Amino acid sequence: MLKDKIKLLCDALNNLADEPLTFMEVCGTHTVAIYRSGLRSLLPKNVSLVSGPGCPVCVTDQGEVDAAIQLANKGDLIFATYGDMLRVPGTKGSLQDLRARGADVRVVKSCDEALNLALKNPTKEVAFLGVGFETTAPSTAAVILEAAEREVENFSVLCFHKLVPPALRLLAGSKELKVDGFILPGHVSVVLGVAPYMFLPRDFKVACAIAGFEALDIMEGIVELARQVRYRDFKVSLLYARAVKPEGNPLAQKLVRRVFDEADARWRGLGEIKKSGLRLKAEFSRFDAAAKFDLRIEEVPLPSGCKCGEVLMGKITPQQCPLFAKRCNPDDPVGPCMVSSEGSCAACYKYSHKVM
Amino acid sequence: MFVELKHGSGGRPTQQLIGEILSIYGDNSIKDLEDCALIEGGLGVTIDGFTVSPRFFPGGDIGKLAVCGSTNDLAVRGVKPMYLAMSILIEEGLPKEELIKVVKSAYGVSKELDVKLVAGDTKVLPRGQADGMYITCCALGKAVTGRPWGINNLSSGDILLITGPIGKHGALISALHYGLDVDQLASDCAPLWPLMQPLTEVAGVKCARDCTRGGLGTVLCEWAEGAGIGIEIEEDLIPLDPEVASVADVLGFDVLHLACEGTAVIAVAPDCAEYVLSSLRVLAPNCTAIGKVTEDHPGIVGLKTEIGGIRVMDMLAGEMVPRIC
Amino acid sequence: MCLAVPHRIEEILDSKRAIAAAGPLRVEVRTDLIDDLNVGDIVLVHAGFAIEKCEEEDGQELEELWEEVLRLAGKRDA
Repeated sequence: MLKDKIKLLCDALNNLADEPLTFMEVCGTHTVAIYRSGLRSLLPKNVSLVSGPGCPVCVTDQGEVDAAIQLANKGDLIFATYGDMLRVPGTKGSLQDLRARGADVRVVKSCDEALNLALKNPTKEVAFLGVGFETTAPSTAAVILEAAEREVENFSVLCFHKLVPPALRLLAGSKELKVDGFILPGHVSVVLGVAPYMFLPRDFKVACAIAGFEALDIMEGIVELARQVRYRDFKVSLLYARAVKPEGNPLAQKLVRRVFDEADARWRGLGEIKKSGLRLKAEFSRFDAAAKFDLRIEEVPLPSGCKCGEVLMGKITPQQCPLFAKRCNPDDPVGPCMVSSEGSCAACYKYSHKVM
Repeated sequence: MFVELKHGSGGRPTQQLIGEILSIYGDNSIKDLEDCALIEGGLGVTIDGFTVSPRFFPGGDIGKLAVCGSTNDLAVRGVKPMYLAMSILIEEGLPKEELIKVVKSAYGVSKELDVKLVAGDTKVLPRGQADGMYITCCALGKAVTGRPWGINNLSSGDILLITGPIGKHGALISALHYGLDVDQLASDCAPLWPLMQPLTEVAGVKCARDCTRGGLGTVLCEWAEGAGIGIEIEEDLIPLDPEVASVADVLGFDVLHLACEGTAVIAVAPDCAEYVLSSLRVLAPNCTAIGKVTEDHPGIVGLKTEIGGIRVMDMLAGEMVPRIC
Repeated sequence: MCLAVPHRIEEILDSKRAIAAAGPLRVEVRTDLIDDLNVGDIVLVHAGFAIEKCEEEDGQELEELWEEVLRLAGKRDA
């Protein structure tokens, strides 16, 4: 049944795509799903997919990683992080390296777990590394509100949450990037809804589809993009209505607005993007780890030779980076695209760099 | 440079560490990288360390695991397990009844396999210097196959069989480690010799491996790279329990990299595949064919996906940690 | 950038927490982001938080896409 549906979609795609088309999937989870499903091997030759900067781990700036490591290195502090960030290399090693040398770095599955650590260890500071896009920021907001309500004094968040639409604006506006359409992030859209993406078809005449994460969902997204291009019917098509409402999740949006302000943020490899990050409102500054521990977020250039920036922008494929699979591989990564399990380079290495 | 957790996960970093260790021994060491060495006198020997935490889990404990794990390494090389030498490192303060319970579990499997404990050692470490108990088990036995099983036998056309659903042990330990409620999950910890013994008389059996650290994916990659052959697997055919799939989904893990502790992959010549399958299914009803060896893409494992696409399988790279992305 | 897995709400603990099941796995999830949650609801869970209730229907735009896909298939077979 599934194979039949996929076949129908492939046939439709062959029919609709009568010129070379390049589509960008923005979300790292889509990148991994595309590789894992073997979907690329079924696409017609004239349809290519490039991966965008949709991996929050990959776009966490080197200066931010260094600040996290500086904080985790403090004695008498429990540093809680999602597993995704554990191996990201800063200038002097990763959180995992620190843990190996005795720092109390703990992998948590939820910001809620980090707050519980603070409640269970009242004599220690607990700092939580807040990374992720709009899907994840609401949970951090909810936990900060709870911490405030419960007057917790030993909990703070190092907030490096970022926002997707400003990055999309940068990509769509880039003259070097020729992308005909975007597969938009399904779960970010659960929170945001459809409206924040409307500028894409309107101002940049690109096709857009919000897709889920099964291979079938992604294939439907690709066919829809081809359809939009073929008929010049540019819009934001909501194909993941199982989970995404047109207005998104207003309660989640409200919590984020309650706790955070928009701020300029530096994206690894992309540079500074205006109003593309979140920072805690002054009212919650006692939960802001950067303020509490007087951390300076430095501007740090990418390691020499690292082309993560160009990969993140979809300008080159992972294989086109001179370090790929040679100096830079999942066991010994140079840049974040290789470290994160959903970074373009890690996904490419794991699933398809050996040519069959 | 430091030894890191990733070096113990069973994927490439482990290979690299082992490579460095073996290079010191140079010629005076292991020649073929199988899980059990075949030595003079028609004997096979293997050694394995067990550090599992928690020590007791649904489906077994560290004692059962120690005997199964080490004798399975013999079994998959066609070596009949006969003797065990066991070293137990115990942390000060461990309740004695726990130690006895673990040894009784180990004895239970030993009795089932008619394996004798012929040498042993215990050490007690001060509190804090070990995590409760570690067991190292050396298993020795007699090679009983006509031709030794090993990756050098692999050739194009060989059929690959798996003896049961994958990833159960790895999923269980991960679930326990990360606080997921695991009612219906149990380890597949079990001795493989009863399954493998009837196959020792079948000439067409080429090679077998238990899919422990690093899972099925890692074993197949090691075979492809070690023997310079291509492998093709079909995702649809790989047996998988829904509980294991759920754990993998929730934690963001790849089921192909989750460890098994009583499940083997076996390569057989095509003309005896049906016979071997029906023989195995007596004790392992879920045994099934999952793919084949091919002369295409040597060194690479290709996976035909459930949507009819194809992608490359790689071995585990580093420690698996829960992801939110 | 977001792993989220559908779970069924099994038990509501309080205004912020519930027990949810993904297949045979049961976990405690935070429910701060959902209004009007009921036992039996299917929710998407990301990083320990339910982020939205799931619906059964595919939505109009997906249905329209499939109409086009089938129309193209019909044309081919004709």
